[in-house]
Amino acid sequence: MASAVEVFGLTREYIMGGEALTVLRGVDLTIPRGEIVCVMGPSGSGKSTLLNIVGGLDRPTSGSVVIEGEDLAGMDDERLATYRRRQVGFVFQSFNLIPTMTARRNVELPLVFAGASPEERAERAAAALASVGLAHRIDHRPTELSGGEQQRVAIARAVVNEPAIMLADEPTGNLDTRTGLEILELMREMNAAGRTLLITTHDRAIAESVADRIITIVDGSIENIEQGGTA
Amino acid sequence: MRFRDLAFLVVSNLRRMKLRLALTSLGVVIGTSAIVLMVSLGIGLQANLTAELGDLGAATHITVMGGGGMPGVEFTSLNDEIVDEIAAIEHVEAVLPSVPVYLDKIEYKKYVLYSMPYGVNMEDFAKFGYEIEEGRLPRNDSEILLGAMLPASFSVASEDGMMMGPGSTVPELDLLGRRLEVATSIYPTEQEIEADPNAQPRQNKQKFTVVGILAPSDMMTDQSAYISMDAALDMNDTDRRKVTYEQLIVKADSVDSVTDIEKTIMDRGLYAYSSQSMLESLKSVFLIIQGVLGALGGIAMLVAALGIANTMTMSIYERTREIGIMKAVGASNRQIKRVFLGEAAIIGVLGGIGGLLFSGAGAALANLFVKAMLASQATSTGVASSDTASFFQIPVWLAIFAIVFAAGIGLLSGVLPAVRAANLDPLTALRHE
Repeated sequence: MASAVEVFGLTREYIMGGEALTVLRGVDLTIPRGEIVCVMGPSGSGKSTLLNIVGGLDRPTSGSVVIEGEDLAGMDDERLATYRRRQVGFVFQSFNLIPTMTARRNVELPLVFAGASPEERAERAAAALASVGLAHRIDHRPTELSGGEQQRVAIARAVVNEPAIMLADEPTGNLDTRTGLEILELMREMNAAGRTLLITTHDRAIAESVADRIITIVDGSIENIEQGGTA
Repeated sequence: MRFRDLAFLVVSNLRRMKLRLALTSLGVVIGTSAIVLMVSLGIGLQANLTAELGDLGAATHITVMGGGGMPGVEFTSLNDEIVDEIAAIEHVEAVLPSVPVYLDKIEYKKYVLYSMPYGVNMEDFAKFGYEIEEGRLPRNDSEILLGAMLPASFSVASEDGMMMGPGSTVPELDLLGRRLEVATSIYPTEQEIEADPNAQPRQNKQKFTVVGILAPSDMMTDQSAYISMDAALDMNDTDRRKVTYEQLIVKADSVDSVTDIEKTIMDRGLYAYSSQSMLESLKSVFLIIQGVLGALGGIAMLVAALGIANTMTMSIYERTREIGIMKAVGASNRQIKRVFLGEAAIIGVLGGIGGLLFSGAGAALANLFVKAMLASQATSTGVASSDTASFFQIPVWLAIFAIVFAAGIGLLSGVLPAVRAANLDPLTALRHE
């Protein structure tokens, strides 16, 4: 099976108050296409940084990151934006919906920047919202939706561009257990459509319930790779 | 990103900050109003001025006077020598010396008129191209040519010979072919008074037949009558060896040579003026006024621009997280920049439209006020005000310019904040609270 993500010798340093802080130290990781991978680790272990670099929101200090055959290392801002638009969909812990826009508008946003026609946009956004079970909430604003519904809108926004990879940073972190499980179930459905999933969490039960593989990162290095409960 | 989507994003963002948008645009409204009013005043004044100066004489005419009374200029009598000298100046086409008859009155039946006839050489007069409405030029010393306004300028003489005042309703008289009596009083000279202390002024009277009436041209000509030079000299009892002229009218071969000819004449120690030179000097005055007003408007606009930049910076700061979200879902730096530039430009455009409406209303009010003032002045003085053009004029090009300019100011003020927004690091932006 071809690899969706190939990371070699990935290092990320931040300069904080004049001192270099190494967040990732030489991470090597290959994720086959269509797999669900959970990244676990305590706060500050570097799991979110890994996710952000794979998603093109952050850049590695050294090492190579090849996603679906594209090397992110040499990309300028413009190409990185195009990459984010076409290849990845993000789901955040705090949902990150634009509060003044309706669910529909939020889901349409990636298509707006992609230059899709209004008709195509409306159709795809409606379909994406229907696929997360929110067809009836399409014209509601985030403040009128529950946390679980907001995260569903975020998932719809993440898949509306048909990306190859979906990245979720603690997607259940702000939700109660039952709602969290529903969201995970929804993400698994998205994976069933052939999408590769990379999820960070610090909750082992969640990781075991959904992942094909579980990767544990401690202090910026991969400590352990194990098969998930579903494998 | 499609233009429609860009417009939607811009408009929906602006709708979230209505009050701030209104306040920021207000700055642009003030700046635009100031500039538009200033430019429109300049245009209006110039238009009025050009119309008024037309009354001072044709654009190619220069009026020359003896220079007496002008500071630093000694009085020079205008005699035939000077006439020849001026006629020899390059680009001078003709010179028209004239001698006024300081008259008591012109009488026609029970009507009187107090307009001065000028004695001129009719051959020279013909060269000046004054149009004759009806009739022809005088051919002998007992014929008279009337300015366009004279047939309607007579009044009825009262018993004691006093004029009834303006507006004493005398209809326009049909004078062509009629005989008028011109009367003038010759006051004794100093030598005559020395010889006979009781010397009395003697009155000269002569009848003239109206042979022509001029078409309306400039104000002076419209209100003058013309007789032959000899007739005027006779009326004034002038010694033919001591003929001097009160004024000369010089005709230049083109408008462009007027200024040069005028300067040559002034250098000769004579006083000369033309509608051309007056327009020039007034133009420079208005240029200064417009410059000062324009500078004020410019400062207002600059402050407005800073206001826009400030508003944009604030709103970008508040929307940092949103910018992060947009970047995460694939917005490029260029697209982000466009959204914020669009917002800044719209603030400018709204301000420009507001400013245009405001200055349009202001200009209309000011015009009404000025017209009312002129009208009341006209009633009290009895002088009918000529059709005054509006003092504030806003032509279409000025309206378009105002809005485009305001949009440009908005766009320019938005550049720095927009670039900042575009270059935000997406992760930092996403973490912004």
